[in-house]
Amino acid sequence: MTEPFFDIAVGAASFVAGLLGALIGLGGGIIVTPLLVLLFGIDLRYAMGAALCSVIATSSGAAAAYLRDGISNMRIGLFLCIATTIGAICGALLATVLDQSVLAIVFGVSLLATVFLSLRKKPESRLLPEDSDPLALKLDLPDELPEQDGTKSPYGVAGLVPGFCVMWVAGVLSGLLGIGSGAFKVLAMDQIMRIPFKVTTATSNFMIGVTAAASVGIYLKKGYLDPALVSPVALGVLAGAFVGAKLLAVAPVRVLRVIFLTAVSIIAVQMILKGLH
Amino acid sequence: MIVGTMISASLIAVGLVWYLSAHAGQSPGDHLFSGEPKYFSDPIDMVRRAFDFRAIGERRSIAMIGIFLLLLNPPARVLLAGAGYLLEKNRVYALISGVVFVVLAISFFW
Repeated sequence: MTEPFFDIAVGAASFVAGLLGALIGLGGGIIVTPLLVLLFGIDLRYAMGAALCSVIATSSGAAAAYLRDGISNMRIGLFLCIATTIGAICGALLATVLDQSVLAIVFGVSLLATVFLSLRKKPESRLLPEDSDPLALKLDLPDELPEQDGTKSPYGVAGLVPGFCVMWVAGVLSGLLGIGSGAFKVLAMDQIMRIPFKVTTATSNFMIGVTAAASVGIYLKKGYLDPALVSPVALGVLAGAFVGAKLLAVAPVRVLRVIFLTAVSIIAVQMILKGLH
Repeated sequence: MIVGTMISASLIAVGLVWYLSAHAGQSPGDHLFSGEPKYFSDPIDMVRRAFDFRAIGERRSIAMIGIFLLLLNPPARVLLAGAGYLLEKNRVYALISGVVFVVLAISFFW
């Protein structure tokens, strides 16, 4: 394929990835990378570098909106970012030395895990601020969630140390695979730290950008960011995520989720097979 | 933040069109398929190259600056948050923001 068409095709595929990501609640990054690798035969590390940039773009756009609404908890976000950024650097360094086929397998498995995580929904069990982890109280992490009727409901934060550790792992995955690893971040905050779902989603959005920025520095240094690839991917995913977020209100989300999650699972298996060959 | 994202997105778009206009009809770089790392690893060199108009074929540098601005977005946000906490005299969170910022800086200037 020659140049303008190649970039247009890559941009179109990235748009679809961003759209899908927004509609089924996965990040665009975890979908765009396998598409680039499987459809265009692009080197996995270049694809991951481009995906990281797209993750930062979408996170910066969306996090701004959440911050304005006052839902996201900056203190929790910043505190956990210590874990995710350090993890991200470890992961990115690991990515530069690991064999591509190993990376492809790990990627496929993580993608399957993400699908699994997004399928299961546990009821939210909110914690009162006074029942929080003592360390969380010391760090002043509990806050209030503004409800739709204008009232504010306070919430507490549990399991700070295990949450911090899982966040480190989420950071490693983010750096290693060039993804936002939002699903894993939400898992840690939701299930372990028992933070209300709305707060976890908004806060993880802020964290995803910061985490991705920590690993993208390594990718940049190693030369895996090629503007010729990053540009169409970042723009495509950003546009796709934007349109997807608008469509979310009118689209038959339930049906789409089932179809797309099946498609994503197939992609994941293909990545694993690619790694095995 | 949104303004920052928009500025970098438009810079990337301009750079992309410019790059494509110079490379029309060529095959996309083989490096994308073989994984030979080399380009733009040094931020300062990157900015210098972007303004070096003699270097035909380096037109993608404009897009790279847009990308670089995009990458600066999260560290800038952490820095702003830290400054905010400092103003509030919230030492603990000024420190936490500082730690996150230092980790980010380390990752960029390894």
